[in-house]
Amino acid sequence: MKILAINPGSTSTKIALFEDENEIWAESLDYTRAQLDAYETILDQIDLRRGDIEAILKNNETAIVSLDAVVGRGGPFKPLAGGTYAVNETLLDDIREGRVQADHISNIGSILAHELAQKAGAPAFFVDPVSVDEAGPLAKYSGLPELPRRSLVHALNVKATARKAAAELGKKIDELNLVVAHLGGGISICPVEKGRIVDVNNANDGGPFSPERAGTLPVTGLMKLCYSGKFTLAELKKKIIGNGGLVGYLGVSDSREVRRRIHAGDAEAKEVFQAQAYQIAKEIGAMCTVLKGRVDGIVLTGGLAYNELLVDWVTERVKFLAPVSCFPGENELEALALGALRVLKGDEEPNTYI
Amino acid sequence: MSYKILAINPGSTSTKVAVFEDDKELFEETLRHTAEELEPFDSITDQYAFRKEVIENVLRERHFELESLDGIVGRGGLFRPIPGGTYRVNEVMVEELKAAKYGEHASNLGGLIAFEMGKTLDKPAFIVDPVVVDELEPVARLSGHPAFERRSVFHALNQKAMARRYAEEVGRPYGDLNLIVVHLGGGISVGAHHNGRIIDVNDALSGEGPFSPERAGGLPSLQLAQLCFSGEKTFAEVKKMLLGHGGVMAYAECNDMRIIEDKVQHGDEEATLIQNAMAYQIGKEIGKCATVLKGKVDAIIVTGGIAYNKHMIQLIEERVGWIADMVVYPGEEELLSLALGGFRVLNGQEEAQKY
Repeated sequence: MKILAINPGSTSTKIALFEDENEIWAESLDYTRAQLDAYETILDQIDLRRGDIEAILKNNETAIVSLDAVVGRGGPFKPLAGGTYAVNETLLDDIREGRVQADHISNIGSILAHELAQKAGAPAFFVDPVSVDEAGPLAKYSGLPELPRRSLVHALNVKATARKAAAELGKKIDELNLVVAHLGGGISICPVEKGRIVDVNNANDGGPFSPERAGTLPVTGLMKLCYSGKFTLAELKKKIIGNGGLVGYLGVSDSREVRRRIHAGDAEAKEVFQAQAYQIAKEIGAMCTVLKGRVDGIVLTGGLAYNELLVDWVTERVKFLAPVSCFPGENELEALALGALRVLKGDEEPNTYI
Repeated sequence: MSYKILAINPGSTSTKVAVFEDDKELFEETLRHTAEELEPFDSITDQYAFRKEVIENVLRERHFELESLDGIVGRGGLFRPIPGGTYRVNEVMVEELKAAKYGEHASNLGGLIAFEMGKTLDKPAFIVDPVVVDELEPVARLSGHPAFERRSVFHALNQKAMARRYAEEVGRPYGDLNLIVVHLGGGISVGAHHNGRIIDVNDALSGEGPFSPERAGGLPSLQLAQLCFSGEKTFAEVKKMLLGHGGVMAYAECNDMRIIEDKVQHGDEEATLIQNAMAYQIGKEIGKCATVLKGKVDAIIVTGGIAYNKHMIQLIEERVGWIADMVVYPGEEELLSLALGGFRVLNGQEEAQKY
């Protein structure tokens, strides 16, 4: 089965062709800010991006009609259950008319998949978008009814990695309980109960601080800042989501640079990085109680999981909870393709977006 | 050698006092102050002479010889962050309390009254484990942004007293134990006690950790910011939402967990969800502390008023019973905890700390 996977990013489109589980080729198309600034909305970029994808297909001598499916990255759609979804008119209408949780470039992944799939005469899919919400009713409580906790999660990588970890244990994802920690620019720590993400910190709203985000903050302090008159909401948002965490403390988001500083004897870098590991471990501990201690494994993934210092510090604190395994990095295109393949092979029923 | 101690716990509209002979309570009184009585005073601090007199009067009425006291212990107060323990009240503390340097709070009166009475009687005055006890490890002080430092403001008196009680019951020194202590009161604090020091604890006052009967606890940051910028609420309104009218109060318009429990027993689904959600969040906070202690946890101690609720205890135990044994010490005996802090110094078990 030939599957084309598409992952539109803010200044790039990553695509890859898979033959079943195997990647045949992969390319990343980079855009300059100036190029994209010419378009008023994200939706306006569709023709440009689709045209460029078609050109790449041609360069790679991949005929569109040879594709068995096209799968696009899902966006911040409305809250929905995890899985592989067939792209349908309802979804396309919702995206085009802005019935989504945020205006984000990933929203056009499904449109690109749909348009290319039509030319191929093949189905279009999206898989485990960030709006996957499988949280139980108790996880929705914050402490104020006005501010319910929301599930926004790196679901694609969390689920894909949970499947890999399960396979290593000789099990299927729905046969065990895992705590998966996606450690990227944002951090999502999820109790995955028999395949379902039943809670998550929501990287924009709380949890450990990450390379760029502040995570949980003391509430009254945050309130004072909000009412200080010194910032607009957009500035504050930038402060806690773009310039929090490692960037806030150390001025860098690249954990390799932090590691370099630590090895050079920078005590401050060490303390900050240790604090990050400490908070990650705490969140993992919290999520183990969600599973009432019945945890078959703790799984670390995402770019930060390449950093052996961080992995060691986290492991030291959480290894008493369950065996710790590490799947560094993330392969979104592969995760998308595998999601489509499961449906094509009949291993899984596609979900219907309603 | 036997010692007599007067313990004083001033609240906003009452002053609780008790006299202990060693760990035995001789008598206890709750002295209520009417609004008219307190009206003439501009600040809480100004009430100290008045409250002191009320205390002395009631002791006199009981024909209790003030001179027979060996020490006076007041409820702590707001000071700079300090390690836990029993502190001899000194001039520096008194000046800070009088100036309300770290904020106005009824408990500030405890140190002041104890000091003045001690001076008259020529007996030592102490405070014990005030709310500002701060034994956080450096790694616990980072929030996630340099604009905010995590603070340690919590129910230190009860947390430490219950941890010591457990230590005594198992016949091991508090300083050798790793404990998670869960104080379930109007506010909720969950502390990781490592060899006698509380190295991490959620700051229940600044908004961290589980929601409680009246407080919202930790909240989604971005959503909170959006609420603050909505233009619909003033700072004071949001603060009230979080601190007096948050948590169970906000969800159920009730801050009495006994009423909630009653509703749960009668099959009220909403009350059941709220109670379960509270246990869920408490469980998560305990799980966090377990990793702070790297899984080496001798016991989980649950205390405070809500710990009387057996159903609540069961809900928490389901979630965290696998971490360590749970020990329940319901209620909180502040006067006894204060007195015991004083005795530890008088009988030489502990050195008084110097502020």
